[in-house]
Amino acid sequence: MAEFWQQVVTGIATGSVYGLLALAMVLIYRSTSVINFAQGEMAMFTTFVAWSVLQWGEYWVMFPLVLLMAAGFGAFIERVIIRPVEGAPILNIIIVTLGMFAILNNVATWRWGGIPKGFPAPPEIEVTGVKFMGEGALDIGPTVVSYHDLTILVFAVAIMIGLYLFFQYTPTGLAMRATAQNPIASRLMGIRVGRMLTVGWALSATVGAVAGLLIAPLILLQPPMMMGVLLYAFAAAVLGGLDSPVGAVVGGLIIGISENLVGTYTPKEWLGPDMKLTVTLLIIVVVLLIRPTGLFGRRALRRV
Amino acid sequence: MRRITPPPTSRLVVFFVLVFFLIWWVPFSHVLPDGFPLRFGTYRTFQASEIAMWAIVALGLNILTGYNGQISLGHSAFVAVGGYTAAILMVDHGWPFWTTIILGGVIAGTLGFLIGVPALRLTGPYLAIATLGLALATPQILKKYDGLTHGTQGINVRPEVPPPPDFIDDWFGISLTNDQWIYFLALFIALLMTILAINIVRSRIGRAFVAIRDSEIAAQAMGISVPRYKTMAFAISAFYGGIAGGTYVQVVGYVSPESFNFLLSINFLTTIVVGGLASILGSVLGATGLIVVPELPGLVSFIPGAGLPDELSWAFYGAALILVMIFAPYGLAGLFHRLIRVRPAKILGSLSSAYGRSVEALRSARASRE
Repeated sequence: MAEFWQQVVTGIATGSVYGLLALAMVLIYRSTSVINFAQGEMAMFTTFVAWSVLQWGEYWVMFPLVLLMAAGFGAFIERVIIRPVEGAPILNIIIVTLGMFAILNNVATWRWGGIPKGFPAPPEIEVTGVKFMGEGALDIGPTVVSYHDLTILVFAVAIMIGLYLFFQYTPTGLAMRATAQNPIASRLMGIRVGRMLTVGWALSATVGAVAGLLIAPLILLQPPMMMGVLLYAFAAAVLGGLDSPVGAVVGGLIIGISENLVGTYTPKEWLGPDMKLTVTLLIIVVVLLIRPTGLFGRRALRRV
Repeated sequence: MRRITPPPTSRLVVFFVLVFFLIWWVPFSHVLPDGFPLRFGTYRTFQASEIAMWAIVALGLNILTGYNGQISLGHSAFVAVGGYTAAILMVDHGWPFWTTIILGGVIAGTLGFLIGVPALRLTGPYLAIATLGLALATPQILKKYDGLTHGTQGINVRPEVPPPPDFIDDWFGISLTNDQWIYFLALFIALLMTILAINIVRSRIGRAFVAIRDSEIAAQAMGISVPRYKTMAFAISAFYGGIAGGTYVQVVGYVSPESFNFLLSINFLTTIVVGGLASILGSVLGATGLIVVPELPGLVSFIPGAGLPDELSWAFYGAALILVMIFAPYGLAGLFHRLIRVRPAKILGSLSSAYGRSVEALRSARASRE
């Protein structure tokens, strides 16, 4: 039973990262119906920038700095690359994000090299005498959970609550929801739709950057590092329903846990750890066949 | 309705230039002296064969995505099925190569039909992730069940790839090298598949595909069986993938699980959108771009300061994708049609008629004042 709980806890930690990146994708999808294939590479790129900053700075100085840069980066991409294709068919915009994928991946390899680098987990900090994060693990009865895994979970939950509060209780959040629902009506009501999209991309890039910074200590920093994570995040977002932020995080957790359990408990001869990706995806496809717009997604109605 | 095809004369000129280029220039240009422009070596001939085989996939995917509106990120799986069928039959069972290509296409087509049935329930990104799942699972499945597929080491088909047949020497008096022969083989298959694609999209079936893409409900109201044609589009598209896989085996001479990873699928989608959705010409242009564009920075590197570092060729490709999407939203085919319509005489004509109209307007204004 200890092994079972161990797998579940590890699954929750990696699942939170998938959920975070899925959340970043959902933020963009909700307002523009675009799947951002460059989301993972944007996170990878900011993590590399973070690594460079860490060469001369403290972790907790770097952290807000990099998030700020990520926000600026996201806003820049929306303004310069996405804006010119705004009215184009969805597939065209998807190809643009794939182009960014190629550029970011290639430039990162060229600039920082393909050799995997270690990346530190958030170091210990002390707030009013209580220590958070750092090395070590917490005994929670049936199993132990490392502080870093806990950190990931806490960050994911905090970001989700923060985004919920932002969308529900701030004027900007309300304007963004309105933009997502009906851009034309929003524009008529005096909302600056273009600016809302820029803010959406900035937010999304920031959430993605957090995901990158938190997963890097677990999987080593290297240009292709986010590719697998992106696929799981994509699957998580789809599983949860692409327009639902809650669905993204729940989807991430389900995928993280089921991936670990499939790897451990299916017969090794013909399934086992080698096939865990396949089986996980098969589960998602089955779920989609029963609920074609994901677990929490709304069914799109169309007038003919 | 406006003509979007060029008039017959310029079309004929383009056709003959193309035929000359493909039949003579690409395979035989290495006899030209060094430094001659567009002198192709063995490697370039290989790349031309690659263009032919990716054009086959692009044609198939364009029928599914461009004409029928179903996104697939799983086409690397169909190529893998076709490729592995051909490789296994040729190496382990000694079948002649052309039967394996056809059988690979048929098996991939059957798989496509089976995928097409559950795909009926899904649309847009949800269909994309389901098919992407297929592409992701393929290398893992190929590695896992290694009794049939030879596992991670792959299958070396090179010794079984047919040499140039004797009839070419007998009929034309030319002895081809292996790579030239493979190039002609790939070109021939691609040509057949192109003609087939043109006939499909211009037939009743093709019109049904387009009707479903534009509005499923309206198509249904016109008596088109939506499930039947949607699964048919999947099957045809997968058949193309399978044929391309069989061609891949002849061209590359080697298959391994990693030859068919999901990035290939993403490349296919890029190919058709950049080439031009719902366009036969676009599929071919897109496949050409896929091979040629990453090479471009290297080609201009003899101009000082113009070349990018070699390591940045994919960044260059990515930038090219973005630029094409911004400046040519209908892809390279749209750009081609726009360019070929712009003719000096026509511009002069439209200018003079505009001048005539304005003179006319001035005159009538003056007349009404008086």
